[in-house]
Amino acid sequence: MTLKEQIRANRWRTLWLLILFAALVGVLGLILGYAFQPSLLVVVGVVGIVYGIFSWLSAGSIVASATGAKPADRAQYPRLFHVVETVAIAAGLPQPPPVYIVDDPAPNAFAAGRSPAKAYVCVTTGLLNLMDERELEGVIAHELSHVRNRDVRLMTLVSVLVGVIALFSDFLLRISIFGGGRRSGNAGAIAFVLGLAALVIAPIAGVLIQLAVSRRREYLADASAAEITGDGEGLALALRKLQIDQTSTAHASRAVAHLYIENPQNQATGISTAFRGLFDTHPPLEARIAALEESGGFRLAPLQ
Amino acid sequence: MWVAIVVGAVVVLLLLLLVLTYNRLVRLRNETETGWANIDVQLRRRYDLVPNLVEAVKGYAAHERETFDSVTQARAAAEQAPGPAAAAQANDRLGGALDRLIAVSEAYPQLRASENFLALQQELSDIEDKLAAARRYYNQTVYRYHTVKQSFPAVLVAGPFGFREREFFGTDDGRDAPAVSFQGA
Repeated sequence: MTLKEQIRANRWRTLWLLILFAALVGVLGLILGYAFQPSLLVVVGVVGIVYGIFSWLSAGSIVASATGAKPADRAQYPRLFHVVETVAIAAGLPQPPPVYIVDDPAPNAFAAGRSPAKAYVCVTTGLLNLMDERELEGVIAHELSHVRNRDVRLMTLVSVLVGVIALFSDFLLRISIFGGGRRSGNAGAIAFVLGLAALVIAPIAGVLIQLAVSRRREYLADASAAEITGDGEGLALALRKLQIDQTSTAHASRAVAHLYIENPQNQATGISTAFRGLFDTHPPLEARIAALEESGGFRLAPLQ
Repeated sequence: MWVAIVVGAVVVLLLLLLVLTYNRLVRLRNETETGWANIDVQLRRRYDLVPNLVEAVKGYAAHERETFDSVTQARAAAEQAPGPAAAAQANDRLGGALDRLIAVSEAYPQLRASENFLALQQELSDIEDKLAAARRYYNQTVYRYHTVKQSFPAVLVAGPFGFREREFFGTDDGRDAPAVSFQGA
């Protein structure tokens, strides 16, 4: 696929995932509406909406404090500022975003802020030591693409919805264990079992969709970055370096993982490898490099 | 009665579509204007830098008059170029003249060691990177604007409402190799 096709395909797949998400919520509601008393559902629904609005509003500026980022000094990091300003111009951002530094030997970077006007980028000292100017440009372009594509807002929205589903399921499960809200009769019993099954499956399905959206946005940010810099190979080279690198980022929690250039928690263990892809916030670096190679018409030297 | 409602609904829908399409074209055209403003900022920085650079080189290499003149002339021509396409051409010439000026300076070790000259050279390289970035963004916005303008239904709106094509700013043929690498981390 060409770059423009990749960008369009990724946008479409995000939309499909969101539709799937809405369908999931709808089906859950239908099953539960049948299994439980509707009045109970109204109460839980109102609680869910209030909870959702509250967490949407409070999910603002937790990121910088959670990662130990500090504002970068222009005199100390002229190369970084040069790259950020240049890429911001190429991305058409209204002004170059503020730059933050995390003192961490692990190479990584993230961008945050709900709108392009309030965005900031953050890189680790490890990244600056590892990347040359061309590769750094690719990484920064990837991060600013997240900002320009409104990914922070999208992922906040999706995670709030997943939270609401989890809350919903948890609440109704507890109630049903104590036998409340059950309908009488044979059909009622079957519906009740179905309802229980839906309550167990829904939160997991929600998380899986959330992660699928996250991976889709990574591919999109890669393709957008290649469009911004006109140099997909630079980003691919940077990803290859991250692939070789073995250090993992100290300050990253699962909550902010989707903001980084690569998954900050190196290789989660405990889940069998066949299913691991499903629980990752980022696609495998190898697949991301392959997508860049395809649209850019180049080949990196293979890994030793 | 029903016919009137259906006709009314269709008219409202068409008006809505017209408004949306018109606004989309306005937004895209404004984006090209922002893109052009970004280029203009970098061009102006370059025009401002040229006299300083010429002065700096003159101090050490006074007899390279021909090179100085060609740079100064190219700058004046670039500043007066009308429209993006002409400006791109004139600025390519200015870029070539500046390259020659830098090449000349290579022959003067004292000049190359001068802190003022190094700072100017680094600023020139910063401007050139940013100019290339601004050019890429501007040309993308023009491309997007033209694509939408030429497709249905915008093509019906664009003509009557006077949305004109914009000139591209030269071509994006790869990256301008920076003359100086940035020091430090």
